[in-house]
Amino acid sequence: MALMPRSLVRSPLLLLTLVGGHAMAQEAGKWIDRMNRAVDELNYRGTFVHVIDGTAEIMNIVHRNVAGNSGERISSEAPRREIVRENDQVKWILPDQKLVLLETRKDVSPLVSALPSYSADLEPHYEINLRAATRIANRPAQVLEIKPRDEFRYGYLLWLDQETAMPLKSQLMDERGRTVEQILFTEIDMASDVAASDLEPTINTTGFSTLRPPDLVPSLAANVPWRASAVPGGFRLSAATQSPMPGSKYPVEHLVYSDGLATVSVFIEDPKTKAEVNDGFSKVGSTNTFSLTLRGRKVTAVGEVPRQTVRTIASSLVAE
Amino acid sequence: MTEQINDQISAFIDDELSAEESALLVRRFEREPNVRARALRYTMIGAALRGELLQPHSSMLRRRITAALDGAVTTTERLAAPRGSARYARPLLGLGIAAAVAVAAIGTLRLVNEAGVAPNGAIGGTVLARDQVVAPSYVVPQDATPAGPVTSPIRLTNYLIHHSEYASGLGRASVSSNVVGATVEPMPTQAEDTELQWH
Repeated sequence: MALMPRSLVRSPLLLLTLVGGHAMAQEAGKWIDRMNRAVDELNYRGTFVHVIDGTAEIMNIVHRNVAGNSGERISSEAPRREIVRENDQVKWILPDQKLVLLETRKDVSPLVSALPSYSADLEPHYEINLRAATRIANRPAQVLEIKPRDEFRYGYLLWLDQETAMPLKSQLMDERGRTVEQILFTEIDMASDVAASDLEPTINTTGFSTLRPPDLVPSLAANVPWRASAVPGGFRLSAATQSPMPGSKYPVEHLVYSDGLATVSVFIEDPKTKAEVNDGFSKVGSTNTFSLTLRGRKVTAVGEVPRQTVRTIASSLVAE
Repeated sequence: MTEQINDQISAFIDDELSAEESALLVRRFEREPNVRARALRYTMIGAALRGELLQPHSSMLRRRITAALDGAVTTTERLAAPRGSARYARPLLGLGIAAAVAVAAIGTLRLVNEAGVAPNGAIGGTVLARDQVVAPSYVVPQDATPAGPVTSPIRLTNYLIHHSEYASGLGRASVSSNVVGATVEPMPTQAEDTELQWH
């Protein structure tokens, strides 16, 4: 938190404001927790629009949870595509490429993966507010705002169903308040039963190629001799690993910095690895990356944060 | 020895061998099935990552490959052509051999698909149990151009995948939805950036 005069700290009005803000944040945090449970635990079917980088995809979702086993089928029409998940087994069906991708992972749904989680540690760096209720998809909704207190992280606006806390709309906002990514339900049905057969793929994959990416080899805990010497407030080193990576003969060192909500990874290539990454910025969806060469090593910072953040962290890397 | 041949194959696929070295390697392909199989595997991976095996108009690719295969002898002959045309020989030879293994690669992919996965099967029980094709990355480049993106989308996507393993709910945002069909946007940099400060 930024420094302020003692007289202001002693002010009852300010104290009341701070306490009130904390209570508001706690209340908002409960909504966020309910939201995360609702997305996984409820049965529902609906249509939502996923907008990212100015590109909109209309997706249909059918989600089912029976005794803790969850799955869903998500379909988009343009491009025609289907994602089917059964617990951690995921099948991507890409008819335009006559391809099926199989993988083992969670949070494949852009609906789920685009949601934040709450911790009290966030409050120094994010202002978390409940705002006036409104209606989305013809349902009453509570609006939550998670607003960064500086320019080094993204923020959220969330519209949660009053009854179930299901997110009916979410927006990821950049450091200037512009929408980076948006999900909006145009219709949702949380009342009807969802059968197992409703989650089966609808695209005929006869003649498709099938690929399975390599399983991620567990990273080794490692004494990575690099640290970022300048990071935005609240970001702390949360992991340091050394792990193999497809396409590289040599292990890649990986530092993870997080403020509890936003996370930035820093990848440090072995100097013997042939550089496949050019220096400078790149962007994939809402993820920014910045690469540079330090002492013959390619260093790349990756995160769903503003460009300045990945550049600052990557550029400050020093050997310990 | 293995590493040396791997490096040679890799250099060959990347068109980094001289014409003489390429010719020697091609002869080795003919003599040693294992070496050829290794080259096939490398090329399949490379072609898959570049999206060459995944383009919607695969028939065009097949025609190009067939044409290149037909021309393989011709390109070999060009090695002995007059000096003025020598600079064209190496790329054509490389294309011919790469195309040959790519053809086999397509066959391999299709074969595995037909044998290993039932169409519309449930995902749990029908995942390829054996001989599954392992993709070296999650990425499926869709907009590859001859010039290529600024940064390898494959490398970047591998970074994203590793990053998502450690990220919070927010950190995992968009990885899955962006990985398939990921394109990398080169970003303008210095001119419009302003350095931000914090305490």
